[in-house]
Amino acid sequence: MKLIEFNNSSSREVYNNYIARCKKATKVLSDADREECLLEINSHIYEYMQDHTATDELENLKTVLQQLGEPEVTLKEYVAAKKIDQAVTTFNPKHLIQALYFNIRNGIMYIFLSVLTLFFCCFFLLAVFKIIYPNNVGFYYSDDNFMFGYTTIPDPANELLGFWFAPLMLVISALLYLLCVFILKGIKKVKKV
Amino acid sequence: MKEDFLKNWDTQLKKGLLPLFVLQALRNKECYGYELIQELKSAAGIDISEGTIYPLLIRLMKEELLHYKWVEQPSGIPRKYYSISQEGKKCLTEMKKSLETTHSKIRKL
Repeated sequence: MKLIEFNNSSSREVYNNYIARCKKATKVLSDADREECLLEINSHIYEYMQDHTATDELENLKTVLQQLGEPEVTLKEYVAAKKIDQAVTTFNPKHLIQALYFNIRNGIMYIFLSVLTLFFCCFFLLAVFKIIYPNNVGFYYSDDNFMFGYTTIPDPANELLGFWFAPLMLVISALLYLLCVFILKGIKKVKKV
Repeated sequence: MKEDFLKNWDTQLKKGLLPLFVLQALRNKECYGYELIQELKSAAGIDISEGTIYPLLIRLMKEELLHYKWVEQPSGIPRKYYSISQEGKKCLTEMKKSLETTHSKIRKL
C-alpha cells in the first residue's frame, strides 16, 4: 500500500499512528482482506485531504480520522464478517475459534457454537491426554458408576475403550468441528436470503 | 420539545432509508466511498458519517446487492468504486414500491 505523503511532520505522525492502529485491529484477517481494508481507509483519507487542500493539513487530517472513527470500534464488524468467511472456507480450527470470538455478541447461535467448539476442543485434548497419560484417561465403568475423562485414581480393569479411546475422541472432535462449520455456513446463508 | 421530537424522528427515518438512498445513488453512477458520502450530502441532504457508510456498504455487498472494483489512480492510491448489481436493482425497485405503498396508506388515513 502506498502511504500518503504529508508536508507537516505532526500530520505524518498522526497518520502513521492511525494506520498502525488499523493494522493492529485487522491483524487476525488474511493478508488479502487486511490489505483491502487498509487500502480503502487510505483511499478515503487521501480523497478527503485532496478535497480540502486550502485549509490546515493537520486539522483536516484530524477531522477525517475523527469521522472514520476509532479503528478498534469501526473495524469490528468488518473483522467479524471476514473471520466467518475465513472459518467456513479454510476449515482451520484457529479461524473458527477467532470467528466465534469476534461474533459472540451477535446472537444466541454464536454462543451455542462457542459451547460446541469448547466440547470439540475438550474431546481433542482428551485424545492427546490419553497418549500422554494412558492409565489416567479413559471411560471407566463399574457398579453402575462411570467416569469419563481424566482421573488421579485410575482403575485400568474397568476401562472400557482401551486403545480405541484416543481415535474415538478424535472422531467425535472432528464431527463436532464439522458441525460447527456447517452451522456457521447455514447462518451465513440465512443472513444472505 | 416538538422540534427535538421531529428531529429525532427524521434522523431515524433517514437511517432506515439509508440502504435505499445508497442503492439509488449507485443506480445512476458508480462511486468510491468518499464520493458517495458527498453525493448523498449534496443530492439528498443526508449527512452520513464514514463510520456508518462503510459498514453499510459491507452489508450490501454481503447481500450481493453491490459490486466493487479497484481502479488505479495517477497518485498511486487506488479508488474502490461501488456499483449496483442486478440483484440490487431488483431490490431497489421493491424498496421503492414498499415506500409508495406506505405513503399511500398514510394518505388514506
